[in-house]
Amino acid sequence: MSGEILRLRDVSISRGEVPIVHDVSLDVVPGAVTLILGANGAGKTTLMDGIAGLVRNTSGTIHLDGVAIERFPTYRRAQAGLGYVEQSRTVFRTLTVEQNLLVSQAGKGDLDMVYRLFPELEKRRNLQAGHLSGGEQQMVVLGRALISDPKVVLIDEMSLGLAPVIVSRLMKAVGDLVGLGIAVLLIEQFAHLALEVGTNAYVLRKGRVIFSGPCEELRGADQRLHELYFGAAPATAADTAAPVARPVAQPVAAGTPAVPSDGPEPEGGTR
Amino acid sequence: MLNSVIAGLTSGGVYALLGLCVVLTYRLVAVVNFSMAAVGSMGAFVMVTLTDTGLNAWLALVVGAVAGAVLAALLGAVLVRWFGEHDERTKAAVTVGVYVALMAVGLRLFGNTTSGARRFPAPFDAPAFTVGSVVVPQSVLVSLAFAVLITVGVGLLLSRTRVGLRLQALSERPSTAQVVGIPAPRLAVAVWAAIGAISTLVIVLVAPRLGGDFSTLGKLINTALAVAMLGAFRSLPLTLAGGVVLGLLEGLSASLEAIQQYRGIVPFLVILVLLWWRSRGEIWDTAHSR
Repeated sequence: MSGEILRLRDVSISRGEVPIVHDVSLDVVPGAVTLILGANGAGKTTLMDGIAGLVRNTSGTIHLDGVAIERFPTYRRAQAGLGYVEQSRTVFRTLTVEQNLLVSQAGKGDLDMVYRLFPELEKRRNLQAGHLSGGEQQMVVLGRALISDPKVVLIDEMSLGLAPVIVSRLMKAVGDLVGLGIAVLLIEQFAHLALEVGTNAYVLRKGRVIFSGPCEELRGADQRLHELYFGAAPATAADTAAPVARPVAQPVAAGTPAVPSDGPEPEGGTR
Repeated sequence: MLNSVIAGLTSGGVYALLGLCVVLTYRLVAVVNFSMAAVGSMGAFVMVTLTDTGLNAWLALVVGAVAGAVLAALLGAVLVRWFGEHDERTKAAVTVGVYVALMAVGLRLFGNTTSGARRFPAPFDAPAFTVGSVVVPQSVLVSLAFAVLITVGVGLLLSRTRVGLRLQALSERPSTAQVVGIPAPRLAVAVWAAIGAISTLVIVLVAPRLGGDFSTLGKLINTALAVAMLGAFRSLPLTLAGGVVLGLLEGLSASLEAIQQYRGIVPFLVILVLLWWRSRGEIWDTAHSR
């Protein structure tokens, strides 16, 4: 694929001494949402942390707009144009909304741009971010990524613990980011929702890419997704560990045990 | 009585400054720095060694402050590089180790309480004014003014400037700060260097009054920690007030014959009382699991 802004080739990532992500190659193009899907423990967050530089990439190359960034420390990757919306709403709680935005302001980013996207935040600009609701905090984090004038924004489980109405509000904002020509790489637990906004998708299992292709191929294909997530079709109606997989009445591969891929990989929720 | 109160005020300003250094280190780089006074003393002794050889005192002061800054920055770099992911207790333990090492090196190089007293220049010994029969030296005013200056200056720096916001962000979420493009390691080492330089200045300011030996000066960390606790390791104005209070307490205990010889334990008593007071309503298991 040509025109990609973020390009990973054979990237392996370890958390501590434990290898989590193996030989991942992927491309992220501007003006589109690229999805990373996969079950819990598949290595999605570790992959994101590895791209952002929070954990060590042991091999492979990462190019951002043609620049090799895999040896850069985290802050230089950010300065090179990589925005990262981490899991669990990482606002600076003691700073005001506006201060949260100002600390990461760079390049052409300005406050008006963020307030146009999230008018809610302008009303609360002088409030400490720790006092905001979960949805508003996530808006601050998204706004903070936007104001840094990024080329690529990584978004990890934006919807975690938020009401559906907020989630669709945030998803709309992601669409607006894309409209600005920014490339988005998105992890999302609600695969259906994500497949609506996504263009290309990668599915990870046990730290490896086992599917890559256009999102159309996966839209509505619950059984296919389930196979990709767990390596087998759903065996029983009770086996609905993945939020994407609605129970399927007729299990196809009934002979294969549907074992969830619960490898030893930690998801990195605790930092 | 008034005499000892004035004496207490002189110490109070300095104690406030020491406490402020501890609180700032804790707030900005999340380390309880036990080695702060020892690092400052190293800088101060670099200075006094230079003045002993006949160098101009101000020039020597600058060199000493730079030495203190470099030493602190080295410690900071070690903590950032190798202990970045460790929790506060581990980092504090590292600074305790450095404290012990510096005290040993200091004793070796500069002598003990009896043999190692150096003559520090005391440019502010001249009387500023007299209250009744008591002469107030300039050093009281200088140390108090320095303490107020740092409190106000740092307060403004943190809330009004971009670098201040970045420092606050860094202290709250070190890894997220990097994610938004803040050069965390560099900023942290700069904070360490600044605090090392300030500590050196503070130690130089207090050295003439305390006899000027390395071990007494390095052990000022006890007082500094007590003052920092009065400020709850957070509030700069409360720390400032805490320093003055502790200075006054010490002055008072020096003036009462019965307890005079025990006045060295005042900081520990304050720490003990504060620990009890602050945890009076808490359930230990949960309250201290931070």
